[in-house]
Amino acid sequence: MDPKRCSNFLLALGAALALGAAPVAVEAQTGTVVGQVVDAQSGRPLSDAQVSVPGTGRGSLSNSAGRFTILNVPVGSRDVRIDLIGYSSQTQSVSVSAGQTATVTFRMAQDAIALEELVVTGVGQETERRKLSTSVDVISAEEISQIPVTSVDQLLQGRVAGATVNAQSAQAGTASLINFRGVSSVFGSQTPVIYVDGVRVDNSQATAAGTGGEQSSALADLLTSDIERVEITKGGAASTLYGSDAATGVIQIFTKRGRPGETRLTFRSEVGYDQPELKYMFDTPIAFPDLVADGSASSTFMEDNFWRTGTSVNNYLSVSGGTDAMTYNVSGRIQNEEGVQPKNESTIYAVRGGLQANVSEKVTVNASGNYTRSSYGRLFNGTAIADPLTTFEVGDALFFSGADDLDEALDVFLSPDINEFVNRFIFGGNVTWQITPSWFAKMGTGLDYRGNQQRILEPIGFTPGEPTGQLTRFDRTFTSFTIDAATGYSWSSEDGNIGNDIAIGGQGYREDLSIISSTGTGFALPGAPDFDQAADITSAEFNREVFSGGVYVDETLDLWNRLTLSAGVRFDGSTAFGDEVNVETYPKAGVAYLISNEDFFPTFGTVVNQFKLRAAYGETGKPPSPFTKDRSFNAVSFRGESAPRFSNPGNEDLRPERTSTVEAGFDASFLNNRLGIDFTYFDATTTDALFFVPEQPVTGQGTQLRNLGEISNKGIELAWSLQLLNRSDFAWSVGGTYQTVDNEVTDMGGAADFNVTAQKRVTEGRPVGAWYVGTPFDSNGDGLDDDSELRFTGGQPTPTSSGSFNTNVRIGQSWSISSLADFARGHQVFDWGSVWSTFNGIYRREELEGVTFPVRHRLDGTEAGKFSQSAARAAFIYDGDWFKWREVSVRYEVPERMANTLKANRGTLYVSGRNLWIWSANGLIDPELNGLSSTGAASLGSLSLGGESSITASVPRRFRFGVELVF
Amino acid sequence: MNKRSQRGSRRPVLGLLLISTLGIGACDFLDPTAVENPQTTSEDLLNAKNPTTSLLPGLRAEFARLMNTTAVVSEVVSDNYSIHGTGLFKEWDSPRRVTPSIMNGTGDATGLYWHTQELRALATFVIEDIAPNDATALAEEVAEAHYLRGMALLIASENFSGAPLVEDGPLVPAAQMLDLAIEDLNAGASFGVATTAALARAYRWKGDRGAATSAAQAALGQDGDFVVLQEYDAVSIDNTPWAFLVNRALQEMQPLPRLDFLDPKYLDREQGIAVAKAEEMHLILAEVAMAGGDMTSAKAALRNAITMAKSRGTATFSDGDERLNADLTIRPRDASITVRADASSPYRAGLVRDRNGASITQNVISGTSLDADSVAALTTADELWHALHLARQEILFLEGRRMADLGIRMPIMLDEIDANGTINTGDLGTNPVVPAYIPQDDEMDLYSPASPYDDGGNLIETQVTIQFDMNRVLTQNNVTPFN
Repeated sequence: MDPKRCSNFLLALGAALALGAAPVAVEAQTGTVVGQVVDAQSGRPLSDAQVSVPGTGRGSLSNSAGRFTILNVPVGSRDVRIDLIGYSSQTQSVSVSAGQTATVTFRMAQDAIALEELVVTGVGQETERRKLSTSVDVISAEEISQIPVTSVDQLLQGRVAGATVNAQSAQAGTASLINFRGVSSVFGSQTPVIYVDGVRVDNSQATAAGTGGEQSSALADLLTSDIERVEITKGGAASTLYGSDAATGVIQIFTKRGRPGETRLTFRSEVGYDQPELKYMFDTPIAFPDLVADGSASSTFMEDNFWRTGTSVNNYLSVSGGTDAMTYNVSGRIQNEEGVQPKNESTIYAVRGGLQANVSEKVTVNASGNYTRSSYGRLFNGTAIADPLTTFEVGDALFFSGADDLDEALDVFLSPDINEFVNRFIFGGNVTWQITPSWFAKMGTGLDYRGNQQRILEPIGFTPGEPTGQLTRFDRTFTSFTIDAATGYSWSSEDGNIGNDIAIGGQGYREDLSIISSTGTGFALPGAPDFDQAADITSAEFNREVFSGGVYVDETLDLWNRLTLSAGVRFDGSTAFGDEVNVETYPKAGVAYLISNEDFFPTFGTVVNQFKLRAAYGETGKPPSPFTKDRSFNAVSFRGESAPRFSNPGNEDLRPERTSTVEAGFDASFLNNRLGIDFTYFDATTTDALFFVPEQPVTGQGTQLRNLGEISNKGIELAWSLQLLNRSDFAWSVGGTYQTVDNEVTDMGGAADFNVTAQKRVTEGRPVGAWYVGTPFDSNGDGLDDDSELRFTGGQPTPTSSGSFNTNVRIGQSWSISSLADFARGHQVFDWGSVWSTFNGIYRREELEGVTFPVRHRLDGTEAGKFSQSAARAAFIYDGDWFKWREVSVRYEVPERMANTLKANRGTLYVSGRNLWIWSANGLIDPELNGLSSTGAASLGSLSLGGESSITASVPRRFRFGVELVF
Repeated sequence: MNKRSQRGSRRPVLGLLLISTLGIGACDFLDPTAVENPQTTSEDLLNAKNPTTSLLPGLRAEFARLMNTTAVVSEVVSDNYSIHGTGLFKEWDSPRRVTPSIMNGTGDATGLYWHTQELRALATFVIEDIAPNDATALAEEVAEAHYLRGMALLIASENFSGAPLVEDGPLVPAAQMLDLAIEDLNAGASFGVATTAALARAYRWKGDRGAATSAAQAALGQDGDFVVLQEYDAVSIDNTPWAFLVNRALQEMQPLPRLDFLDPKYLDREQGIAVAKAEEMHLILAEVAMAGGDMTSAKAALRNAITMAKSRGTATFSDGDERLNADLTIRPRDASITVRADASSPYRAGLVRDRNGASITQNVISGTSLDADSVAALTTADELWHALHLARQEILFLEGRRMADLGIRMPIMLDEIDANGTINTGDLGTNPVVPAYIPQDDEMDLYSPASPYDDGGNLIETQVTIQFDMNRVLTQNNVTPFN
């Protein structure tokens, strides 16, 4: 180490921070700009438009009358710019005089495809959407403010073409499975990489000890409060600059930093209630028909004694504002929810701050910090033995509890305490130096710390578990450190016909994961014992460390403002790669052609307005699990000695999976910009797919990750929006998304077929996780099933197509109504609850849908009773198609004078509902629930395909009533 | 434990990337590229001071796992136990239905094939790769490694008709594995009576009357009432059968009613499983004598075995097991029930215990329903052979022997077949070997009435008949390695 150099670096860093704390002085000569923003066609005032005066740091938002005021605008000729989603950005020049007020009116033209929108994800520097050769989805703050959700995974549901987002359960702290463009890997999570303000954050879907099928997720504490914008790339060329980590896509979240102007205080208070979704719950008439028949149990026992109406209170306060030199946004949030199941509760405290300081004309510093503390109470759920819901729905409640009646049994199953606390800090900051108007350099860094502590107390007498009591503690600490730097140069010809942007950058991240779990059993006395009171204590520790980094070059050549050629490459290394693997190279290239700018392009009057063609090729990767490259030994304690055995066989050639994507499509607007269509076809091939390949058992070695397979995903993505009516007092728009995925394992690379869970198979020529289950068949040709073997059902657990519909209605200046429905189809789901039921002689599908369970025949044709559940697993596979009315939101903006009586500038009342109605092809299980039972917090590289669940509570119907005041 | 630290300097590319990107490479304390594998790597092992000493506990633990899985699989495949609930593969009750896929487990209950191979491979690693280069390795440590590899090969030869012994190697027939086991056991002779007893067991399978007799007598000479137990601990590797016998969360293993009195045998999770004991030596001597037509010596040896078994320790135990079938009907659980071994046998009392939670006295090493006087009264060779088979079944109950004694061999793991190019489905060892005298499906486990109780749990039938007396079947088919 060179202490001097090191000190110099730290001094420089300190100086930069000091500069950030010393904003430049406000200019003395200023005036005021006032104005109004209206829809050009209807004349309707437009609220929430971003108003800015470029180069001055001044800005504002339009109010419900479309009006805005910007104070302290430096004198002189100034551009005023309006940005509003759904409209083309517009700039007008005004002359600002000292102490005077300049007035300007903007008549905004609709823009269905937002080609002027600036995007930063997946490109070297801010780039207009017009120039992008790939599909990039954006969700804006304005949209987020209308959406009745609290976490990022819910935000994506139904709003991103190409995304499949399936809920896990009703339990607090769980999150959805997110998948972009099909299953591209069989060894690891498909969850996209997530960045918050440039910091790569924990995206693990299973972060606690299993209490059944469901586990808490790191996505659950990524809250939607204070999100300015979300950008989404779904793999392929759009994600290439993220290298070995981006095959599953990238979600980039930018949080608010406030705008110059007067201090703006926003207070939101929301209360609500949840109703359990009981469509797939059948209560005692199915599970305990004898008890119901003899009158010893109510036919609505669970409805009366278990299910309840949940409640929710959510309060939010933010302060934002700033000066030319510095803007800020500080907020706090307190949320408490009581779930629809007993002992289900969550409390979230979140504070956040973001600031942007223009420390000089050329240097801007951004910083943000976020702390979230979540606490959750849960039940065992999604399992078979200790879970109240499952045992009561499948008829096991008395058997496993040892109780004499259902009341006593329910008391037993509700006796465990499962509590979890999560502390999460996300800090990030960056410095941008605009060296010249054409040349910038930036550097950023940040960290994500997520610590969760889970405590599961099974009291003495909890018969299904450990009768002498058991205490389980699971502590997980995740830390990631991200650092990046880039520089870019832009050049254009004098006539503006040639533009050139080049960016060079580098990025690295380090992740440290540590898990310590302990179990104490055998307690002498009841109560809430600590570990040191247990008769036996066992502990385990798991650690993982990885560093990955890379450099990239990105070049964009823009010709005649309509043809854009782009190319880039990223070079990556990682400590997870094998010793024989040095640098992985990921190239990309693309073309975007705004063909509607050509004279020859037929517009048919105003029928076709804008038409951009695009095509791209790009490669991305997915890294192997850390340390799976090493040959290793693992030891356990046995009779007072440390007893080693073979662990990982080792693979010095271990490299990331590589997904090469060709995509092509168009962004187009029609009918005077009222209809927008974004269409993409993609063809992605993952080579070097990582398989856990069993070594020959004769070696005594376990399984080893090897780059053997090839997986194909092809499909289309369609997003559309249509303004049906646009009058000054009434506007109505509709839209939707639709996507298909054709997934197939195209090459096993010589590896034997294998299962990813008990019934999901990986084999050549079929989708990843194709259902492979015990299936009755006729072996002697007499037309009667007499034997059983494992066969493919022909179906898969992941949908082959999905989509959504949305509609937005605005009535007058005060009322707005929005709604969303989504669907998925083409998949099959597996019903574990009905499997468990067979042990009690209950055949739920026979009872509920009249579908006869397969009967085994002897070879002479006589009946030999029903097949065993394992021999007839095919009978538990159902059509998984579903349609859900996901949400509706009604908002009312109170008249300004009424708001003013509360000393507020604006006031909004809203009512929202979520998960309102379900249709599903099968009537036994909610096919959206994904049952993460195949994953474990410490089993890294575990694939979650969903499609199977035990008895699991659906996400409840949520109703919220809120008021928002802006001061 | 040495840890391998993969510093940035070992990864020049990563270091270069970081330095060129960030310019802070000189600050070691900020170097984010250093990672450390929390497991022991091959390089760590090179730095171990006493690698043979360090690895031996691993072999012992692996042998404990092998004993666990052998005790489970052998018992449920045979007539000793049947499977109920979901904890184990139901197919094991019908040995002809067992496939390489069923045998593909690696767990302490299901990984019979896996653990024979893992123990053999780990022992080979110590014997061939570590000990020769370890100046600190002691002769007794190497002898123990040979003993444990010999046991792996012996158990493999008892339970599989063939298995590969090297990567990509051909299937080696059981007889050849037995010879290799004997080689290892001889190499490990200094390990003590466990090795001598294992040699007697191996020579029995080989059908070598002289060598089996010598080894059995030698073992008894070393210690006349020896018991070699594989002990367990409650923390990491406990007695796996205990989970299915005593814990019985899912009612997995239920004994054949005529063996009910021997169940559960393992009363706590740390209790040892007998690897070898003096009774078995007497049984081997009896079998050799029977094969040689010396009924007098055979009777004497068998009486010694029975006397020894009955002299073993007992423990009191409160057993409230409900004795449930998979359909939750009740199996025999009252001492008033009499059982006959098949329809032509007499009903016998005392074979079924009261399972009502009352305290019972349970054999924890050996138990048998035979007594020395009744053996003395046997007159025909068939009667004596039957008694010998019954004595082996009862005395070696829950010790992983019955399946092999019935002549049944399991297929090897599917992973082995899939990954080894020289092995094809249909080859020796890839299908179960089930002699023709073994009844169809799960008939070995059947008896009537299946439940002698009414729906209210009241005992309505006090006589139970086992469908097949497998000891009679073995006798009728002259099943002994000494033929």
